[in-house]
Amino acid sequence: MIAQVFILSSKGDRLVYKDFRGDIGSDAVGLFYDKVTALTGDQPPVVMTHRNVHFVHVWQGGLYLVATTIAADSSPFAIIDFLNRLAALIKDYCGALSEKTVQMNFALIYELLDEMLDYGYVQSTSCDVLKNFIQTEALSSRPFSLLDLANVGLFGADTQQSKVAPSSAATRPLQGGKSEIFVDVIERMSVVMSTSGVLMKAEVEGEVKVKCFLPSCSEIRIGLNEDLSVGGSHLAGYGAAVRVDECSFHPAVRLDDFEAHRILRISPGQGEQSVMQYRLADRLPLAPPFRLFPAIEKDAAGRLLMFFKLRCDLPPKSSAVNVSASIRVPNGCISLSQELSSPDQSAELQPQNRAVVWKVPRFPGGTQLSAVFKLDIPALSSASMMEVGPVCLTFELPKVTASGLHVRFLRLVPTQHRGPTQRWVRYVTHSDSYAIRI
Amino acid sequence: MQEWANQLCENRQFGSKMTDSKYFTTTKKGEIFELKAELNSDKKEKKKEAVKKVIASMTVGKDVSALFPDVVNCMQTDNLELKKLVYLYLMNYAKSQPDMAIMAVNTFVKDCEDPNPLIRALAVRTMGCIRVDKITEYLCEPLRKCLKDEDPYVRKTAAVCVAKLHDINAQLVEDQGFLDTLKDLISDSNPMVVANAVAALSEIAESHPNSNLLDLNPQTINKLLTALNECTEWGQIFILDCLANYTPRDDRESQSICERVTPRLSHANSAVVLSAVKVLMKFMEMLPKDLDYYGTLLKKLAPPLVTLLSAEPELQYVALRNINLIVQRRPEILKHEMKVFFVKYNDPIYVKLEKLDIMIRLASQANIAQVLAELKEYATEVDVDFVRKAVRAIGRCAIKVEQSAERCVSTLLDLIQTKVNYVVQEAIVVIKDIFRKYPNKYESVIATLCENLDSLDEPEARAAMIWIVGEYAERIDNADELLESFLEGFHDESTQVQLQLLTAIVKLFLKKPTETQELVQQVLSLATQDSDNPDLRDRGYIYWRLLSTDPVAAKEVVLAEKPLISEETDLIEPTLLEELICHIGTLASVYHKPPSAFVEGSRGVQHKRLPGSAGSGESVESPDTGSAPVASEAPPAVIPSQDLLGDLLNLDLTPTTTTGPPPPSSAMQMGAMDLLGGGLDSLLGVDLGGSPAMTAGFGAPPTAGPPSFTAPVSGGLDDLFDLGGGVGMPMGAYVPPKTLWLPAMKAKGLEISGTFGRRAGVVQMEMTLTNKAMSVMTDFAIQFNRNSFGLAPAGPLQVLTPVSPNQSIEAVLPLNTVGPVMKMEPLNNLQVAVKNNIDVFYFSCQYPISMLFVEDGKMERQVFLATWKDIPNENESKFQLNDCHLNADAASSKLQGSNIFTIAKRTVEGQDMLYQSMKLTNGIWVLAELRAQAGNPNYTVSLRCRAPEVSQCVFQSYEAVLKN
Repeated sequence: MIAQVFILSSKGDRLVYKDFRGDIGSDAVGLFYDKVTALTGDQPPVVMTHRNVHFVHVWQGGLYLVATTIAADSSPFAIIDFLNRLAALIKDYCGALSEKTVQMNFALIYELLDEMLDYGYVQSTSCDVLKNFIQTEALSSRPFSLLDLANVGLFGADTQQSKVAPSSAATRPLQGGKSEIFVDVIERMSVVMSTSGVLMKAEVEGEVKVKCFLPSCSEIRIGLNEDLSVGGSHLAGYGAAVRVDECSFHPAVRLDDFEAHRILRISPGQGEQSVMQYRLADRLPLAPPFRLFPAIEKDAAGRLLMFFKLRCDLPPKSSAVNVSASIRVPNGCISLSQELSSPDQSAELQPQNRAVVWKVPRFPGGTQLSAVFKLDIPALSSASMMEVGPVCLTFELPKVTASGLHVRFLRLVPTQHRGPTQRWVRYVTHSDSYAIRI
Repeated sequence: MQEWANQLCENRQFGSKMTDSKYFTTTKKGEIFELKAELNSDKKEKKKEAVKKVIASMTVGKDVSALFPDVVNCMQTDNLELKKLVYLYLMNYAKSQPDMAIMAVNTFVKDCEDPNPLIRALAVRTMGCIRVDKITEYLCEPLRKCLKDEDPYVRKTAAVCVAKLHDINAQLVEDQGFLDTLKDLISDSNPMVVANAVAALSEIAESHPNSNLLDLNPQTINKLLTALNECTEWGQIFILDCLANYTPRDDRESQSICERVTPRLSHANSAVVLSAVKVLMKFMEMLPKDLDYYGTLLKKLAPPLVTLLSAEPELQYVALRNINLIVQRRPEILKHEMKVFFVKYNDPIYVKLEKLDIMIRLASQANIAQVLAELKEYATEVDVDFVRKAVRAIGRCAIKVEQSAERCVSTLLDLIQTKVNYVVQEAIVVIKDIFRKYPNKYESVIATLCENLDSLDEPEARAAMIWIVGEYAERIDNADELLESFLEGFHDESTQVQLQLLTAIVKLFLKKPTETQELVQQVLSLATQDSDNPDLRDRGYIYWRLLSTDPVAAKEVVLAEKPLISEETDLIEPTLLEELICHIGTLASVYHKPPSAFVEGSRGVQHKRLPGSAGSGESVESPDTGSAPVASEAPPAVIPSQDLLGDLLNLDLTPTTTTGPPPPSSAMQMGAMDLLGGGLDSLLGVDLGGSPAMTAGFGAPPTAGPPSFTAPVSGGLDDLFDLGGGVGMPMGAYVPPKTLWLPAMKAKGLEISGTFGRRAGVVQMEMTLTNKAMSVMTDFAIQFNRNSFGLAPAGPLQVLTPVSPNQSIEAVLPLNTVGPVMKMEPLNNLQVAVKNNIDVFYFSCQYPISMLFVEDGKMERQVFLATWKDIPNENESKFQLNDCHLNADAASSKLQGSNIFTIAKRTVEGQDMLYQSMKLTNGIWVLAELRAQAGNPNYTVSLRCRAPEVSQCVFQSYEAVLKN
């Protein structure tokens, strides 16, 4: 049972404050802010407690969305989920979640909260249901602002890359505008690889998201790979069938045609929804996108020499962007000299992280880069060679799915709605944790 | 609306930015007056604008209560948007303006009749939020109508409103019969209404633990399960949480519920998933393990738990905390999923630590190689805390999986080679533990460890290293040099290191007596003369005396084999774990503390428990209630690996054989020791100085043996004990007459009779020792075997003077209950060994359990009721007490003397019923109901206890107390 919900700016100003149960005083706001700003990095921020008041918060769009409760038997998952939905709803209604939009629409947000929660019980968080009750119209801030550019990109995917999506898609309120529908397949990849290239762990977590800007739409059909198999690896035949270990669907998805034809049927409400989530482990259909060939030695002058060849094993047509390799180095490095194979790459030593960071802005499939790093370490011993590695990569693979999952087609069941509808299907894979051990 | 929008556009064109953000501009003087004027304007738009401004001020915490009448005036409008805004304001300020709030009542009542269901619901919702007593009276009629409204949206709002009203005025809700209506709503056709009704009822039931509100029976469960499939995800959470409180009648019902809950596991909302996991974990307890379905269910639980780990780190952390509990209860669920707990380099530290913990719990022979490879990798990470924990984890693996021990040790040696200071220190600490688990197996590494002696700067690592040197002194050539080097800065070391150094040097001395006399004298004098630390001095004296009196015994004591350390550490105590399993998915599961730990307010403390198992071979797995009394108080079977007392405990100097925390009376003993200190010092000091060359290192002191040492002080001690033992309180606990325990025939002339009593809160053994032999008896000592409640002597047996033939002597031995625990048959059986100068004799006796009833055994009434209900019926035992000619009050006061407290008395149809509670020294509560019919000498005693096996003994105590 949620006792209060409030939204604070990053400076701790109250933007929205609503008390549902009257059992916690409004000084909880100040308490929360003091606590959250006093947190150090290694404390779990999830749940904080002061006497018998529990604070649960999420941090989105530069705002703290906070719920408090005094019942120790309330579910933190439910509360965090609720706050995330609240954030999503504000985005759906107002176009974006920021201090400004919240201030402009506080009356609307109060109204939303009133319908979403009653006496601290969550009633509904579905945009479709709520729009029946909401009277206030949203005001969106559309004047051009440089800051908004930061938000452009695939919604949901935490990525810096911005060239794929039409610039206005992500931050736009639902009402008005063109009739468009977006289907995004977003995958996150975790890999641990040994020096010899043996995969010690490989895991892909994926999500199919739909964001719908259609004023009315009875049903859409999303066709996935016909050879998609769900379940443990024993079910997969030979060959390169696309496989996921587990998947879960949004409760509104109708799966009548899923078994036979791998078609998801949904009547998307307006707004953003995660239609399907899936996960596969260990046996990836393709080779992992990067391999590293390291050689490490001590030269005559007592410096540490590191030779790296990094190969991108994507198909030649694809390429990775924003590749960054962080190489763990021993303690006490003083300076770094480097030789990189092309001028657009860069590398720097970050002594506080004990790491050399090697950046490659664009890395086409089937190519190979090399680098030589020389490190001056006064106290270099044979034991400190053990401290080299692992190498951790972060990257994005636009238009690629590591699982091989694809959308075969996206059909809208015709309605009386006139005019052309833009349909977008986008793919991206990014690294969650890609580590190569040395 | 349109008009307003136009106006907005216009304003924007003029650049004045007519958006809500302007409401947040700072207060100017006279703002209230301006707002007042605007609120009373004729134009609807202007009114709305004004109300918005008011609410904006309210949000930032400004006081706009002065505008109350003006805002209320705007209430009567057909504009829903404006109405909502006004209601928002009302909810906030009605409490501070109760008189004014009455003004709004008429409109509320009218709105509850509105043709628009949105307005009806809005009105009823808002009225419930106005926490003003006067308003609640007006709320009843509209609420009654709304509960039966044709529109489900109104009904579901009204259902919640009942809970709100109950919070304000519980009596009113009961009187008005709203609870029954609410119960009817569980059968509503609309799932949302059902969900809200369930939520409301659950909350109301929580504040009335004794009520039968949420009467869960197979029919209602069926209704809930049906609604489960149809309602929203949030409703599903309420329903699942409610299901978790139900206890199925048998395993078949349990299985059918599980089958219907399982589909929830694949829900996208993680809160639904965890609530479902909670239900399944609980109901699984009822399923026999050999059932096919049990296996299927185990398999189904793994994937959703793994999926939870793909969320953002904050949720991952919450998920991991829950998985940690699940893994402790049922490791088989995730035994094949080790890989998902491998740490990612970019996990936040709190996620990493939690994953590490789970990895160790899942480690087994099958996956140990993989786990070790990972751990070794982690040990070279950057984050110091994580590295330390990873190194410790390697040690835990070695101890847990025997086959891996060798590999773990070599991994640790590799890590020591890195010479990274904190890694080396952690590694040494864990290697010490490995030595204790596998003695005499890996000494070959000692040489490597000794190389790092100088780099150790943390007390724990230094203490560990010293322990290793002392333990293996005979194999380390320069052990004396090594230890001597530590001795230089003895007084700067922490207590931990000092104690360890003292013991290690004594061990060394016992092993290589010839070369190390000086060293041992040095350390003993450092410990006893120059230290202020009582622990250190005590230990120093003990060694000193031991060495001086009987070096052979000293050797046996100090170099005795140590108990092995156990495999699992950091386990949550089983009863707490059971309770936490019932709270999976809640905040309590994140803290790993039961919800009662947070409650400061009025809510009754209800401890949830898992249902008992039906399967046969189950009891091995789940701690059955049978062993509960033992488990709950007994010190955990794990011996803390760095226990300071560890070596000391092997000493059998005093008859107490405690392995737990020092007994409460030890303070007294300590005082005695300190009194002794001066005299002893001088006695021994002279001696030491005088005869340094004797083989034992010490001359035999003029007074021989420990008994004579106790002599000078024992008088004082005796007085202390006498305080408790002298006069019983007038209404004191019942003390049975002395019975013959040990006949002279069996004990070479020593006859012992005795009894037990509780005087002024101290349990005592009162004995008469009679010498029926021909010669004088001296040197009495006493020792107990392990027993059900950990009874142990709190001090030595005080028989001061020799007992001459045909003399009897009274001895009172105070007892404590912190000794080792072992379940006896019968439960109150005690096996005793008594020693004198002739021989050692054994006998056993039974003590009345009433002497273990503690003084704070009076339960709160509410808690009593809740606990009585909470204890399952099968734990109740009924006894007949015959020929008792006391009335209820007399019985009550008599029982009270023995710490059996009467909590309530009821008289029904001439029958007196007494409700009583008592608490045993180990924390077990026993609840009793005593029925007495006037004129009938036969009483009925019903006892309820979570550990039903004590009931028989408790009843015997009743009988003894009441009949005497």
